[in-house]
Amino acid sequence: MSPGPAAALLAALGAAALLSHHAWTPAAICVVLLAVCLQAPWKRLRLYLLAVAIPAVTILVATPFVESIGWHVWWSGPVIPVLGRLDVTSEEVRNGATQALRLAAVMLAFLPYALLLDHDRLASGAGVFRRSALAVALATRLVPTLERDASGLLDALRGRGLEPRGARGWARIVSPLVAGSLERGLNLAESMEARGFGRPGRTRAPTPPWRAREYGALAAAALLVAGGVLWL
Amino acid sequence: MALACVEEVRFTYPGASAPALDGISVAIEPGEVVLLLGASGSGKSTLLRCLGGLVPHFHGGRFEGAVSVSGLDTRTHRPSELVGAVATVFQDPEDQVVLTRVRNEVAFGLENLGVPPAEIFPRVSAALDAVGAGHLQGRLVHELSGGELQRVCVASALALEPRLLLLDEPTSQLDPEGAELVLELARQRGLAVVVAEQRPAQVLELCDRALFLEAGRIVDGIPKAWTTEPDPPARRVAGALVASLRQAAFGGRLTPFDLDLRRGEIVAVVGPNGSGKTTLAKLAAGLVAPTSGVVHRQGRASYLPQDPGRYLVRERADEEVALGADLQRALAALRSVGLEGLEHRHPRDLSSGERERLALAAVLVTEPDLLVLDEPTRGVDPERKLRLAELLRRQSDDRATLVVSHDRSFVTAVADRVVSLASRVEALVA
Repeated sequence: MSPGPAAALLAALGAAALLSHHAWTPAAICVVLLAVCLQAPWKRLRLYLLAVAIPAVTILVATPFVESIGWHVWWSGPVIPVLGRLDVTSEEVRNGATQALRLAAVMLAFLPYALLLDHDRLASGAGVFRRSALAVALATRLVPTLERDASGLLDALRGRGLEPRGARGWARIVSPLVAGSLERGLNLAESMEARGFGRPGRTRAPTPPWRAREYGALAAAALLVAGGVLWL
Repeated sequence: MALACVEEVRFTYPGASAPALDGISVAIEPGEVVLLLGASGSGKSTLLRCLGGLVPHFHGGRFEGAVSVSGLDTRTHRPSELVGAVATVFQDPEDQVVLTRVRNEVAFGLENLGVPPAEIFPRVSAALDAVGAGHLQGRLVHELSGGELQRVCVASALALEPRLLLLDEPTSQLDPEGAELVLELARQRGLAVVVAEQRPAQVLELCDRALFLEAGRIVDGIPKAWTTEPDPPARRVAGALVASLRQAAFGGRLTPFDLDLRRGEIVAVVGPNGSGKTTLAKLAAGLVAPTSGVVHRQGRASYLPQDPGRYLVRERADEEVALGADLQRALAALRSVGLEGLEHRHPRDLSSGERERLALAAVLVTEPDLLVLDEPTRGVDPERKLRLAELLRRQSDDRATLVVSHDRSFVTAVADRVVSLASRVEALVA
C-alpha cells in the first residue's frame, strides 16, 4: 500500500482510540495494531514495544492512586498527607485501564509508521508539506540511528574491556549519543544544502499510481474518525 | 577559461582564533583532476567547502577574497544554486544520507535540481551502475557497509552531472579499486575533480597536479613521506597462538573462514567493500559469536572500531584513556600517539584525525594479548601513519595484532602477513 493512505489510516486509528468512550475500543485497536507491528523484525520491534509498555503500565498502576472517583472500594490504604486516604476503586481501575489502552493505541499506531512505512515515498508525496514530512521522516530515523550509534558505542567500550554497569554507567553513554546525533544533524543539513534542498522548481520521481486499496484506506480512515466521535 | 577560481581567499571559522584558509589562490581548469594534500586541519576540507559555496553560506565566519564556479560567484549564490555545476561527496557517508532507500537517495539531488520525472530513475540507475552499485538499488541505506554507502554517495553526486566534482577523502571508506574507479569515471565524463586525500599513493597517478596545504596555505613541494611507498618491515618469526578461527562464519556477512593469529605477528585483512572484514574483526575480538564454526582465544582482546572518534565518552582526553588504565599509563599512551599537550581538551573539540588517535591510545593502553584495529588510519596523514606502523610493530612482540585496512601503504608498512577476503589467499608481504 502507498505510505500516504497507510499513514492516514494509522493516524485515524490513533484518533479513534483517543476519541472513544469505551475501554474495548482502544483495546481492539491495540490488538489490530500489534498484529500489524509483528510484521516488523522482532529485534527492532522489541525496543519500541518496551517504549509503549513502560508508560502504559505506569498509567495503569498510577491512575487509581492519583484519582478519586467511584465508590466500589477494592482496597483501602493509609492516609497520606496532602493526598488524603489512599484507596483503589473499581471505577479508578477501569479508568486507568482505559487511559493506558488509549496511550498504548496511539503509541502503537506510530510503530508501523516508524518500522514499516516507506518514509521516502511519504516525504516525496507530501506535496507542499514536503519539508515537514521530510523533517518528520528524519526525526523518525533518529531512533534507529541512535540505536546503531548505541550499539557502536557499546562495541567500542567492550572492545576496551569496559562494560556499562548500573544506572550511572548507562547514563554516561547518553551524553556522547546526544552529542553525536547533534553532530550528525549538522552534517546532514550541510549535505542537504549541498544537494540543492530548498531550491525552487523541484520535481518528483515517479511513484506507482494509487489503486482501490489506497482509496479504501483513506475512506476507512475518515470513517474511523467519524465513528470515534459518534459511536465508539 | 578556468572552471573555478579561488582568489586570495582568507577564511576564519566562527570562534576560531586562526584562519582555516590564509590567502589561497587556485584556478581549476575544465576536466582537470587536482589533488589536495595536507595534514588534518591544514584546510583541505575548508577549501572544498569554499568551492561548493558552503563556506561562507552554511558555516558563517569571516570570509575575504572571492570564489567563482562556472561563472557563479559563491558570495552571491547559495550552495543550492550551484548544484548542477558542483557536486560534493563528503568524508563520512553516514552523515550525508537523507533518505532510507538507495535509489531514492540518489534521486534526491535530481528532484531538487528539477530534472524531469521521466529522466530521474534512468539517471539513478546509470549512476549506480557506473560506480558498481547497481545491485544496491532496492536496498535500505542502513544495511550497507561504509564502503557501499560511499559508492552510493558518489553515485548521488555523479547523477547530478556536475562540471566540478569535489571529493573529501574518498578512500577513507572506499576500497582502492573504488577510489580509482571514481576518478576514471570523472576523466571519462570530462569532469573537473578536486580531491582531498590523506592517502595520496592511491590517487596521485590519476591526478594532473597536486597541491600541498599547510596551516591554510598552499606551500611548494610535497614532503617525501607523502609520495613514497614505505618499505615493508623485516620478517619475524611468529610466536604462540593467541586466537584461531576455524570455519568461522557469521550469517550472510562472512562465509566460513580459517585464520590463526600469533603473538609477535601483525596480520592485515584486506578485501573489497562488503566482503566481511569488519565482521571478521569483531569475531576475532569476541564482540560477536560465529553463527557456525569456532573461535578460540587466549588472553584479553581489545578492539578499535571504524570511526572510533564517535565513541568517546569522557570530557577530557586523559580521562578517556584512563578509563582502561591508570592516569600515568594513559598519559604515556597519549604521548605515544602524538597527543601530548592535548590531555585536558574535550575529545569533541579535537580534529577528526586527533580523535582517531585518541581512540587508538584508549585501546593501546589496555595492553591486550590480541589487538584488533578496524581501519585505524582514517583521517591520519602519511607521516603519522608511518609512526603508527612503527609503534604497532614496536609493541607487537607482546601480542597478536589484526589490522583491517584499505590503506595499501599502511598495510605494506605494518603487516607481516596479508589475508585477502576477496581471494582468500594468504600472502606473505615480501
